Amino acid sequence: MTTQEQYKKRVKELLSNGTVKMVIGYKAGTTADRRRPLFVRTPEEADKLVLDSACIANLSGYLVTEGLLSDEKRVGIFLRPDGIRSINILAAEAQLNADQIVILGFDIVGQEVTALSGEKATDFSELIGSIKEKAPEAPQNPQLEQLEKMTPKERFAFWQAEFSRCIKCYACRQACPMCYCRRCIVDSNQPQWVNTSSHTLGNFEWNIVRAFHLSGRCVGCGNCDRACPVNIPLRLINAKMAQEVLGAFDHFSGMSETQEPVLASFKKDDSETFIL
Amino acid sequence: MSEPFEPNIVAFVCTYCTYAGADLAGTSRLKYAPNVRIVRLPCTGRISPMFILKALQKGADGVLVSGCHPGDCHFTHGNYHARRRWTVFRALLEFTGIPLERVKFSWISAAEGAKFADFMNSVTEDIRKLGPFDQYKELIRETEAPATL
Repeated sequence: MTTQEQYKKRVKELLSNGTVKMVIGYKAGTTADRRRPLFVRTPEEADKLVLDSACIANLSGYLVTEGLLSDEKRVGIFLRPDGIRSINILAAEAQLNADQIVILGFDIVGQEVTALSGEKATDFSELIGSIKEKAPEAPQNPQLEQLEKMTPKERFAFWQAEFSRCIKCYACRQACPMCYCRRCIVDSNQPQWVNTSSHTLGNFEWNIVRAFHLSGRCVGCGNCDRACPVNIPLRLINAKMAQEVLGAFDHFSGMSETQEPVLASFKKDDSETFIL
Repeated sequence: MSEPFEPNIVAFVCTYCTYAGADLAGTSRLKYAPNVRIVRLPCTGRISPMFILKALQKGADGVLVSGCHPGDCHFTHGNYHARRRWTVFRALLEFTGIPLERVKFSWISAAEGAKFADFMNSVTEDIRKLGPFDQYKELIRETEAPATL
């Protein structure tokens, strides 16, 4: 039995015995290589589920939809390891109760989809631990390496060119499971921190703020990158910040539902070589 | 001959240490560069990275951030939180190409009036040598220019 069939059966089981009220998964999209989210409420609807190597979006953002979890019923969701990490972060930041989430874990290796065993976020802690172990040795993105070699002036020019294309559609924010603020700082106009017009300066500031707010929280799912209509390499900047936080504070986001957020905690002996 | 370049520098300081240090510099009759505009805040923990971006957006050539030494915070640990935030924010500025010589951080206690005056002088001197932050000012001009079709 393929992973897809195995999980279809499992979803039907979960829904028919009332364990969950809904399962969030994937269905076929408008083109052969695209998948779109599917919200399954009845066992019959489960037949529409698709699980293959094109199921790359991180669906965890749908869990913080207003009112979804407020009835304290459970919800099932298809997640890859990065998605499981975002569940941990959302739980650590008190955005959801991890006990209400039934995880249908899977991973994509090449074109193959494999099932991950476990149901609660805590069942995957060993897996996430091993991802953290491998993180420092993971092959570096060649573009990131190239950027690090540049002078600040060249880097500024690089990002200026990238951000000048930004149209401030905020698709990156909408697609990100970590961007759940009811009122985003860029929507506030008293005071207006960031210019709303899509000039390069405001775009620059918006992208810096976004990256800063995701530092130590981003799991690198790539939702923002894929959502960007003008192809700004947002993942580069997020990956760089994740590296920094891992190097400076040994913080790997989404390890557990009790992990303290990196910028809301401190150690008395944190490094401070740059402070005069 | 044109006027020599006088940098505009904004300093975000905490009221309990660095601002008191600035007071001490004043009462001790220490002279320091008049280029620095001080913004007093309750604690370094109150200093959001947005403040730094806003100062640059409004045309500052340099930004200083200063507060109590670790362990001296009036609110016990505001400066520890601030330190983490600055570490991350600094890395981000570096990666996006904003020269770190223009954004400086320091600990200055209420007893360090002389350190305050020296710090203001040395940073003003450094930034005067770097010249105006043209790269950023170019962006500001673009934003403020009247719309063209």
